[in-house]
Formats: sequence, structure tokens, C-alpha cells
Amino acid sequence: MELIGYTCCSYIPIELLSATGLKPYRLMHGDPLLSLIGERLVRVDACPLIKSNIGFVLENKKRFACIIGSTGCDMERRMLEIIRTATGIPVHILNNPRTDNFEIFNNEIDLLVRELEQFFHRKFDKSLVQKECERWKKVREQFQEIDAKRRSNPSTLSTTTFHKMVTNLYKGNLEGGGSDTPDEMTYKPRVYLLGSPISYESGPFIDLIEKRLRICGDYNCGLSRDIYTNVSEPTIEGLKKTYYNLPYIFKRPNITYYEWIEKELKLTKSTGIIVSVLDYCDNFDFEISRMEKRFKLPILKLKSDFSFQNQSQMKVRIDAFIEVLASYRSGVV
Amino acid sequence: MKKKRTIPKKISLEAWSRQFENIPIEVIKRFRYYDNDEWGIYLSPPATFMVYGARELQRLKFDNSFESLRMWGFVFNETERLFRAKQINKKVIATMGDLGTIPVLVFSFPDCVPFYPECLWWTPFFKESTELLDTASRLGLPEATCFSRVVVSAFYKRSYFPKPDLIIASTGASCDDYSCVMQIVESMGYEMMWVEIPYRRSTEFTLTRPRPQDCDKTRDGFIYPKVIEEYLVREYQRVWQRLFKLTGVNNPHRLVETIKKVNRLRNLVEEIKKMNAEAEIAPLPALELMTIEFGNLYGYADFDEWVDIVQGIYDMVKDRVKKGIGVLRKDAIPIAWVTPSADPYLLNLVEDLGCRVVETEYVIRQALTLIEEDIEPLRALARSFINASLIGSTEERVRRIKQKIAQNKIKGVLITNMLGASHCAMETRLIERLLSDVPALSIDVPAPFGINQQIRTRIEAFVETIR
Repeated sequence: MELIGYTCCSYIPIELLSATGLKPYRLMHGDPLLSLIGERLVRVDACPLIKSNIGFVLENKKRFACIIGSTGCDMERRMLEIIRTATGIPVHILNNPRTDNFEIFNNEIDLLVRELEQFFHRKFDKSLVQKECERWKKVREQFQEIDAKRRSNPSTLSTTTFHKMVTNLYKGNLEGGGSDTPDEMTYKPRVYLLGSPISYESGPFIDLIEKRLRICGDYNCGLSRDIYTNVSEPTIEGLKKTYYNLPYIFKRPNITYYEWIEKELKLTKSTGIIVSVLDYCDNFDFEISRMEKRFKLPILKLKSDFSFQNQSQMKVRIDAFIEVLASYRSGVV
Repeated sequence: MKKKRTIPKKISLEAWSRQFENIPIEVIKRFRYYDNDEWGIYLSPPATFMVYGARELQRLKFDNSFESLRMWGFVFNETERLFRAKQINKKVIATMGDLGTIPVLVFSFPDCVPFYPECLWWTPFFKESTELLDTASRLGLPEATCFSRVVVSAFYKRSYFPKPDLIIASTGASCDDYSCVMQIVESMGYEMMWVEIPYRRSTEFTLTRPRPQDCDKTRDGFIYPKVIEEYLVREYQRVWQRLFKLTGVNNPHRLVETIKKVNRLRNLVEEIKKMNAEAEIAPLPALELMTIEFGNLYGYADFDEWVDIVQGIYDMVKDRVKKGIGVLRKDAIPIAWVTPSADPYLLNLVEDLGCRVVETEYVIRQALTLIEEDIEPLRALARSFINASLIGSTEERVRRIKQKIAQNKIKGVLITNMLGASHCAMETRLIERLLSDVPALSIDVPAPFGINQQIRTRIEAFVETIR
């Protein structure tokens, strides 16, 4: 068994997972065929990402030593229960508090460390944790450098390319971040991407958007969110502080998420926002109207179940959105 | 009061109105909420509430006992009661998300009235109106989510309950839909006090076996990490302090007394459920039973009066069981009901088609469990809440039903879902597998007026299978 799986929520310190000696594999699948397999175990109205990940684990159960999940979103937590019941793969569900409660997170990380140490018969001493923190810091810095090209104005790297690179990283292949990137400079309208996690198989979706627009930044679990997790203190305590303070939409209240995005929109000089919402993803679906009021930029909501059956419709909507962006820039809207 | 006993049966609204004419005025005057004889009378025929908008009452059938009539009068009177509470300077406190425990704290402060806005999810169905659901859509809420989204509309419209003096919003290891609803309510300008609901991680969901000294067991037999008790105690201490700040009163002795009262109610309800399940003929219809169960949450905003109402129902049920009489046929098939139906009509329909509900899992287990009286009260509250339905595994949630199936007490399982609701989407298939020793039927509760021939046929087929 080569992999230690973990759910897409970015609150599980990846440094601790890789300290086990296995490849941390982020469950970020969005393949309709895998979803069909998942639908044997959950209802059709479960989140497509969850269904697809269940499908992937069922098909690859021998590769996983264990899977670490969290209570971040309700379906994600329940996915682990289903995986455990259906496959027998050992799982650990981290109780990630939704409200401001550092005590719980602190204790949960301590428990996770104890669990991993015992399960893998490894001592997570200071030097091991430091080594892993530094290793991941280096990788993240490489990716931040790459991402700087995407964020620059004009943007010189497409999100389509960036997505391919981070996909490799989230599948546990740490090498590859430093490779050369193509020059993809463009003056297309700059948009910021938010919403449900972009999956490993979302390449065509991103490509469709970038045919007419440039995604110059994002706060998405499937793209750059994790690479800006800057652990300043390479210890378990440092990991706790860093991961706990990551803003996210399911936190209550989620004000820090909005503040973060506002700052990001200014930094990236985005002229519009695309919110990709998976079917039945409450955490984003509920917030669209609020985002429209708060961010004061044109917003395009693209709903998907990964099937891409609505490709033509999406294309038309993206075209219409470009017209809105133009009108907005010229002050008509 | 000496009451004339009638033959138990389910009757229509018209029949109730006729029966109501025989109730003497002095009896009507005897029952009052907030013990106020000037405006606190709530006993009226259900037709009154139909006239005021609860149109579905025309289609529903009710238990014909005086005790049930009293219950319906009280339950449907809640909106008026909450506005009255505000008028007479009581503090109206919205407790959201925890379903059953925070109100125990609220009741321990003088002149504080808790209520659950989420109980409005029945309103579109009782009113046969999509107004609240449509408003939620207009406000940008997705349609494929739990009906509890109507809470956003109610806060927006400001006419379903008075502006709360305090909102205590519990979230965490619970359903996403309602957590999102509460977040939207806050973004509308309402100040929330957020309370964390910890996750009851069973030993199955850890990589290694936890040390015995780190675990404890709830009354319902769920193993849990001891530390979550501490988390809850601290959260309840925060709530207590906030209520102290609001009222200026700090009397822990009142909490001890409230717990005793709450336990009295929970005991009564448990006994009613037990009698109903074990009697040869079901003494009470499922709709009334569900309403009684949900009363455990907050006593429909007048706890003392509600306990008295339930005591009356308990006596009536006991009497019916003793006499071997009831409201359903003797051969009605015993089923378990998982997740409450937002549409009350479904409970009538299932009984009309030949079933009787003998076990329920209405996501409010925490409101049914007794609270320990011999330990520190906040800890006792924490320990009772840890039994909650949605904070642990699905297997734990349906364990009691599984046991009763093994005892041959349940012949089928009915699961009512809401399309897109997070726990329904993930739990239903698993529940079907866990309870696979008997047939299970899973129904998506449709919007008002949505119960059609197709659903009826599916239930009929289900009944044929389990008969």
C-alpha cells in the first residue's frame, strides 16, 4: 500500500501525512464514471465529488493504507463512514470545528499525531516534523513562484497548465513543481475562480473558461488554496496555528473568508468572478447572492455534476458573461 | 374534569368542529398559556387555524380525544404566543440547530422563552402555500435543499415570530443545510451566538483502538471520546453567561429544577411511545405522536403548560391501552419511521394504507434522552446531548431500530428524505443496508401538494410487501 488518502478539506496537515512515509493522496476525483460507482452506495443527490471519490476508493482500495477525513462538510464526513463500511480501509475522522474553537482543533491534531504514530509505528519527533515542514515549504514556494506568473498582469500562465501541475502534487508527487512552464501570456479579461473543489478531471472545464477568459487567481481546494498554506514554525504547534487559521466558507461565521477574497480580488486585479458550484454543494450554493452583494464584481455561477453535458450551455453563458464584463468596465453596468 | 369518553378514532376537521360545540365554556377557559386568563386561552377547534391559513387541516385526520384537541390548539397557537411573550416583556430566544438542549438552559432563566425557528419547516405544508419556499428562492437560496430554508424567509418577513432578543446558533458536526441557513440569517443583520456541536467519533473511525480511560458510554450505549463532554460543558457555560448578561439573573438552582421538569416530560413521552408501540391496537395516531415527540424540544414555547398537556395525553393513552381500544386497525403493520416528514399528510396516508408507526428516528434523539440528575447540571446536559442523532455514525442512529427488527417488532422501514439535504443524500442507502432484514421504502417528501398517486402507489406496494 503506497497511499495515505485524505479528503479535499485543507485543514488536515499534509506534513503529518507524509511523515508516515507514504504518499499523501488527496481525494479530488470528479469523473462521472466514478460517480456512477459511488451511486451504488449513496443517493444520486449526494455531492458529485463525494460520489466520485467513493468510486475511486472502491476501485483502488488496495492502494490505501488508510484515509484521513474531517467533519468540514457533512457529506465529506459521512463519505468516510461509507468507505469504512464498504471497503474496510481504516479511517480517521478529524473533528474540525466550524466555529472559532481552537481547543478542539488543537486536541484533534494531537490525537491525529498519536494515531498516525501508532498505526505506522513511527515516532513523529521534532526532526521528522521539521523535515516534512521544510520539504513542503519548498514545494509550496515553488508553486507560489509558478502561480505568480498566473497572477501577474498580464498573466503569463494559464490555469489549465497550472491545474495539471497541482494535480500531480495533490496525487502525492512532490517533484515537478520546478519544471519550466510555457509562456501563455494573454490580455484576456481576468477572472477569479471560487467555489466547490475543482477536481482532477476538471481540465476541460477550466479550458472551456480560459478559451475566452484568463483565470488569474483562485481560492479553490483543487487549485492554489493549499499552496498558500505558509507554515512559519516547523513544529506540530506551528502546523496547528497555520492550518487552524485558514479561512473557509463553512466556518461560522465565515467573515474571514470574505475578507480574504476581497483582498485577493484587489491583488489579482480581477474584473469578474466565476463561482463553480457542484450540484448539492450547499456551502457555496447558499452564498452566491451574498457574494454578489459583497464583492461588487460581475459573478458567473457555473453549476456542474462533472458530466459536462451542459458544455454548450456553459459556453453560451461564458460568452454572455464576457459581454457583462465589458459593459461593467465601460460603466454601462 | 370529568370527561365523556368517546370511541377513539381519527376524525375530520368538520367532525371536530361539531364535537367542539359540546365542550362547555368553563372548560375552554380553564386552559391558558402563560397562565394568563385574559388572553391566554388557546382551546379552539382546529378549523379556527384552518381559517387563519392552515389549509391542510382540511385534508388531515385527527385523534378525536379532548386531550389531542387541547394539544393542537396549543401547538397552532405558538406564533400568537411568541408575540404575546414579547408584548409582556419576556425575552424571546431563538435556539437554532441543536434540537433540544439549549432550551433547557433558557428555561432556567426567568421570563425567557425559547423557540426553534426550524420548526417552521412544517408551515408551507400546513398552509398549503409555497410562499415561504418561493421567498427563499427569491433570496437566492438553492431549491434542492432541506425545507428548513424557509427559516431565512421567516427572518426576512419578520411576521412569523417576533425579533428574538438573542439567537443561539449551534453548528458543527451536523447537517450542512441548516448551518448554511443560519449563516445566511446572520448575514441579514441578525447577531448570532455560535455554539459548536462536536463530533461523536465512534471507535470505528479511528486508526487505533482508543484507550478505555479516554472514552465513555452514553445512556443509549454509544461510545464517545470523553473530551467532547468538556467541549460541550464549556459551550454551555458560555451560553449560561450570555443568558446571565441578558437577564441579570444567575441562579444555578433553577437549572437543577428545570432538568427535573424536562425529565418529567421526557419520561412521559417515552412512556407514551412505549405504550403506543406495545399496545395491541395503536392508541394514538402517528401525527399526534410526532407532534408530542417534537414538543420535547422546547414545549412549544410554554413548557409548564406543555407538560400538563402531555400528562393529559399520557393518562388518556393509558386508559385506551387498558381498555384495549385505539385508533387503528388491529392488523395494522408495525413500521419504523426514519427522518421526520415535513408534510404531516404523509403520516395520515401511511396509516390509511395499513401501517402503524411503532418506532421513530426523527433526528431528535438528544431531546428524548433523560438528563442525569445526580451530577453537575451542565455536564448532565452535555452527556444527554451526546446521544444526538446526527452527530455520530448512521449505524448508531438506527441501532435501536435494528434491535427491534431483530426482535420481530418492526416489519418495514419508511425513510423520508429531502432532495439535496446533506445527511439524507449520504445516509439513506446505508440505512437501507443496515436495516436490510426488513423491506425499506425511501420517499423524497415533495413540496406542498406534491404527494401524488405515484407516491401513494409506492406506499401501497410497500405495504403489500411487508404484509
